[in-house]
Amino acid sequence: MAARSLRRSNPITLLLALVLFLGFLVFLLSPSTPSSSSSVLSSTSKAVKTKPGLRKPIKHFQLNHVKTTSDPASNHERVLILTPLARFYPEYWANLLKLTFPRELVELGFIVPKTREGNAALAKLEAAVKKVQTGPKKNRFHGVTIMRQDFDTPTPQNEKDRHALAAQKLRRAAMARARNSLLFTTIGMETSWVLWLDADIIETPPTLIQDLASHDKAVIVPNCFQRYADTDGTKKIRPYDFNSWHDSPKALEMASKMGNDDVIFEGYQEMATYRSLMAYERTEGGDVRLETPLEGVGGTALMVKAEVHRDGAMFPPFSFYHLIETEGFAKMARRLGYQPYGLPNYLVYHYNE
Amino acid sequence: MFPRHSHAPSNGHAYGSSNTFSISPHRFQPRTRPALRWRRQLFVKIGVIALFSSIILLLIFPSFRDILLPSLGLGFILRDDPLLNTVKHYDLSDTQGTARGWERGERILFCVPLRDAEVHLPMFFGHMRNFTYPHHLIDLAFLVSDSKDQTLAKLKENLEALQNDPDDKIPFGEISLIEKDFGQKVKQDVENRHGFAAQASRRKTMAQARNWLLSAALRPYHTWVYWRDIDVETAPATILEDLMRHNKDVIVPNVWRPLPDWLGGEQPYDLNSWQESETALALADTLDEDAVIVEGYAEYATWRPHLAYLRDPYGDPDVEMEIDGVGGVSILAKAKVFRAGVHFPAFSFEKHAETEGFGKMAKRMRFSVVGLPHYTIWHLYEPSADDLKHMERMEEERKSKEAAEKAEKERQAKLMENYDDPKAQWEKDKQQIENAALEAKKAEENKDKNLVGGAAGPHAHAGEGEAQGKSGNQPAKVGGNV
Repeated sequence: MAARSLRRSNPITLLLALVLFLGFLVFLLSPSTPSSSSSVLSSTSKAVKTKPGLRKPIKHFQLNHVKTTSDPASNHERVLILTPLARFYPEYWANLLKLTFPRELVELGFIVPKTREGNAALAKLEAAVKKVQTGPKKNRFHGVTIMRQDFDTPTPQNEKDRHALAAQKLRRAAMARARNSLLFTTIGMETSWVLWLDADIIETPPTLIQDLASHDKAVIVPNCFQRYADTDGTKKIRPYDFNSWHDSPKALEMASKMGNDDVIFEGYQEMATYRSLMAYERTEGGDVRLETPLEGVGGTALMVKAEVHRDGAMFPPFSFYHLIETEGFAKMARRLGYQPYGLPNYLVYHYNE
Repeated sequence: MFPRHSHAPSNGHAYGSSNTFSISPHRFQPRTRPALRWRRQLFVKIGVIALFSSIILLLIFPSFRDILLPSLGLGFILRDDPLLNTVKHYDLSDTQGTARGWERGERILFCVPLRDAEVHLPMFFGHMRNFTYPHHLIDLAFLVSDSKDQTLAKLKENLEALQNDPDDKIPFGEISLIEKDFGQKVKQDVENRHGFAAQASRRKTMAQARNWLLSAALRPYHTWVYWRDIDVETAPATILEDLMRHNKDVIVPNVWRPLPDWLGGEQPYDLNSWQESETALALADTLDEDAVIVEGYAEYATWRPHLAYLRDPYGDPDVEMEIDGVGGVSILAKAKVFRAGVHFPAFSFEKHAETEGFGKMAKRMRFSVVGLPHYTIWHLYEPSADDLKHMERMEEERKSKEAAEKAEKERQAKLMENYDDPKAQWEKDKQQIENAALEAKKAEENKDKNLVGGAAGPHAHAGEGEAQGKSGNQPAKVGGNV
């Protein structure tokens, strides 16, 4: 009977049925959010789940043998590059791909806020990651972890709002939390170094990792500048990140008078700290290997030995000695006995909005 | 058009159209070939369409590969996909934690820091087997540091047995064993461990070990983190669910320990779970930046309400109490607490370190920190040096008491003998006198024997006199008493 009715039916009807059937399948099987990312996401989170009776082997790790030396490339030390990503700049990715450090030793970690902007950034990031990771084997990174944030970022991330003093504490606290979430879930058994590289750092020397590691310091930060065009069109550079500084008696005195939860921020007229900023310590044509001990560090580009983080140094999302986020991190590292250093003449460049 | 041959029907019927009404229902009619062919063609068509559509699906939607291929037994094609192997996606809002995690497949990271703990392992693994939380949802992470005994080897042995258990419900999820030495200076025996002076630096190293363990083992798919000491003697097998049900960010049970009767039977053990007090805050302000307040020592009188002292053995085990400091024997915390950056300060954080600092920091980041005063687990009792001395003294006392009793009884027996049996005594004396010459010789021999025995058994010295007394006087004593 079925055969007869099929035979009688029009080919167009059959085609229609096929199309409908396909549409139904797509409707049934496709994930609820129509982005390509979440489909991958659902598959990976499924892979994580285990069934009872699945006998996994015992893994043995020797953390005594994880070393951090001044020559990480030839000593096969694993470097973890962490980036809190609110926007995706192609220049950032291009610069990342230019780094000469062997990629089989590099792991990448990203955390993306759950906003409309974040979705857009995520889509671009995934396309970029896919291109590299499906490419030739020698160009692939050792691993890439992409995470969605589990809390809201309080203020919109545009340049003007971002730097308003009132919004600073909330914004920096959320940023600190994002950094911690990223750090503590991605730092693995083999990680030797952690390089914090902000998503808006678009130009660094290609040997960034080797250069920073060669100083063999627990925490080391290059000077973050920005390229801009002057009114007459000449290209110039200016300091950008003011979070790397030496403490001043004035700032300490301010801190001592503050309430428990208050935070000192750098670079605001309302709050003159008289700290000496590494951003202004650069000398034209000076020695790029010049080191200077710091009390506060910025996070735009920041190289940290994994043991500092493992000992517990994190980015305080609360007022820690009246400091927060990366500046608080520097203080915590110092409390744990690690001295941060800065390189005033070694430059990395920030995106110019 | 009119058919050319009247016998060749145009509608595909095998029979002549002339006899339209002459079909006999009793005659067997084989199926017509065209219908069969048509059916086969239909199957082929459907097959082709299905193949075509699945290929289209695979081409257009790469995500179908993950669904279709493994179900068709072609999973091996996926294994080479670098995107699946090297790129991992997680949404941290999936791992927030709920009150009924076991129903929703929430994974627990089970952290155990160890040092020279070989002797406690059998007891610990007894507990491990008993947990009622689905074992495959629990990932184990052990950190063995500065151990001089066979902790690591024994641990591996036990874990191997656990994973290879014939019961499918016993094996756990991922198991990581981490070796890391921190160069511990303080020896890990009870006296040193709890001495006041050693506390601060000991706790800082402990904190360091905990942080290393957590940061290396925590993954984005963990929803809960459970910290458990190896030397817990008794705890409910449902402890994970019991603590989880409260749905708090950080939660600890009350920790007591059983004691020998002469010490009172039981005692609060973990004094690190407490509520902050004004006195302690004032004390903290007077202290040096690096000072660490430790609870339970006379040096720092903090007057804090301790979770341990608030226990009522018959109280409701679900009663909660807000606390600020946390003890580390058994902590259940949501993974998001650790992801936010809360850790075990290996420096003096608000004058506290390790688990107490952890509680303080969690509070600082506005997480809920709660203790259950009437839900008790029991820590192993290890006699301290003081206790051991006390026990020795008690043992000596017991012995001297026994000896005194014995001497008393001996004396009594002698008296009885003397008063009750004068005739027998006379008889004996008579015989003794008669055999005086023989006795002298015998006595000489006995003397020699005693000397030899004394020299041979110096180790039996303490009990010797007693034993001799016993063997010699027992019958007389019994007789005397009756």
